[in-house]
Amino acid sequence: MKKIYCNIKKCLGCGSCEIACAVEHSKAKELNSTISENPLPIKRRRAEFVEENVAISTGCQHCDNAACVTACMSGAMYKEAKTGLTQHDRDKCVGCWMCIMTCPFGAITREKQEKQVVKCDLCPDRDKPACVEACPTKALYLGTLKEFKEILK
Amino acid sequence: MQYVIIGSSAAGISAVEAIRTKDKDSKIIVISDEKNPLYSRCLISYLLAGTIDEKKIWYRKDSFFKNNKVEPLLGVKAIGIDIKKKEVAVSNFAGEGLKPSPANKENVKFDRLLIATGASPKLENIPGVDKKGVFPLRTIEHMTEIQAMLDKVKSVAVLGGGLIGLRAAYALKNRGKDVSVFVKSGSILSQIVDKDAAILMQKRIEEKGIKIFTGVAAKEITGDKSVKGVALDNGSKHACELVIIGKGVSPNIEIARDSGIKTNRGILTSDFLKTNIEDIFSAGDVAETNDIALGESSINAIWPAACEQGRIAGLNMAGEKETYEGSLAMNSIEFFGLPVISVGITRPKSAVYEEIVKKDAARNIYKKVVLKDGIIAGAIFVNSIENIGVIGALIKNKVDITGVKDIILEDYFDYGKIIPLIKKSKKGFREQEFKETILTL
Repeated sequence: MKKIYCNIKKCLGCGSCEIACAVEHSKAKELNSTISENPLPIKRRRAEFVEENVAISTGCQHCDNAACVTACMSGAMYKEAKTGLTQHDRDKCVGCWMCIMTCPFGAITREKQEKQVVKCDLCPDRDKPACVEACPTKALYLGTLKEFKEILK
Repeated sequence: MQYVIIGSSAAGISAVEAIRTKDKDSKIIVISDEKNPLYSRCLISYLLAGTIDEKKIWYRKDSFFKNNKVEPLLGVKAIGIDIKKKEVAVSNFAGEGLKPSPANKENVKFDRLLIATGASPKLENIPGVDKKGVFPLRTIEHMTEIQAMLDKVKSVAVLGGGLIGLRAAYALKNRGKDVSVFVKSGSILSQIVDKDAAILMQKRIEEKGIKIFTGVAAKEITGDKSVKGVALDNGSKHACELVIIGKGVSPNIEIARDSGIKTNRGILTSDFLKTNIEDIFSAGDVAETNDIALGESSINAIWPAACEQGRIAGLNMAGEKETYEGSLAMNSIEFFGLPVISVGITRPKSAVYEEIVKKDAARNIYKKVVLKDGIIAGAIFVNSIENIGVIGALIKNKVDITGVKDIILEDYFDYGKIIPLIKKSKKGFREQEFKETILTL
């Protein structure tokens, strides 16, 4: 399964991934106009500090046995058989926050007015997710675990 | 191989799905006393409130049974288990109003059986509970009956300040009714949150026009055939046309207990969710499992636990050796825009527990973690819930959090902050995804 991996050794915690993610999930898809949108688009990635000068960019890990899918009482969170990705169906979501309650990565965010949640969808409209493209140090990588391990060598 | 599953809600359905990941062909028979069981029980109050479309409660497709090659036996009741012959006795209802009886039954053979019979609402033991207009809120049938009489209802009394009582109150307020909640104990949601969180929530609920009376119980439901009011134990009377009883649930253990399967409050299970009888498993609201926070056998009658137990039981029925890590009490509640999530032990009753609390009145935020020997046993987050799952991971993996104790309730306490703890942990965080995040550290 292809997903996003972060090389902590390269991550600066600069937040470029967060901005790129929010812009990609905005109406305008362009920073200047995006910042005046109401409500503001929500980022699905977070640059989090582990300790001083050590950071990680995290989001949905598309877990094999995903706690959010098990907890979802409306069938909105599901595993996509073909790709193995954890997907979210807005038409089914009721905003009960059970997925937030169970996600060990804190990777799911409320869209308060809409009573929906949002999380990393790997940017379905792009070849490469916006965060991966925006990362100035190439800390973020889209690929399989095997490929990621390979480039770390 | 023939699998039989009694119960077709969260645990039963998850078990079907799990079995089918390992065994595509063997026969699965699902027995349910509900005619249309593929709805999400938790969403009934949302539907009553009118905040979701009816189609949203059908959380699995109509074709679910067909797609999973399940033979459903719906609208019938499992009335006995012969553990020696490996048979379930199923009684037809044979017409409306007729009670299931042994006179009209057939036997269904099983090689592996799952008992996921769930729980039933506890009814008040007071005069008048049998009057027209008194309902629990557990099944879609209850919801439909309540819905049908709403036009004639102006005022509602909710007996019980637990989750279901308050969800019903919220729903009926949303439908324009005058709602009063009578809570026997001193505060609402006393099984789920602590006093401080309860006060914040009660304030919000009352601001929106629902009346809450604590320390008061109903002693009688009055009226002729139909409800006209409730008489309270403080001597006062309250006029209403509808009474909702939200007094919690009790597990449906009878069928197991009467057939020689070991029960306590619920059906006793092993780490593999097997009962004391070979080839018979149990999961969901009827099953007692190891509670991670309490460290003892307990029932956590909540949707996520039922699904996870159903999944594990299903895998083990199909021949796997999957261990259940144990259950953890957890609830997510939102009333009128104030979200609250609680996990594990939130009202510790012994001095061995330590509490860390953060209050931010300006932002209506309240956070608490409960610690025992440096390990988190429970937490409540009010109006700032996004990272509660990270706390849940610390509880499940029994991590000593002494190193991060000072910052654990800060807004910025997120997954990044527990990475050093994951790196250090020898026994916990076994899932591949945790390992992947620390690969480069």
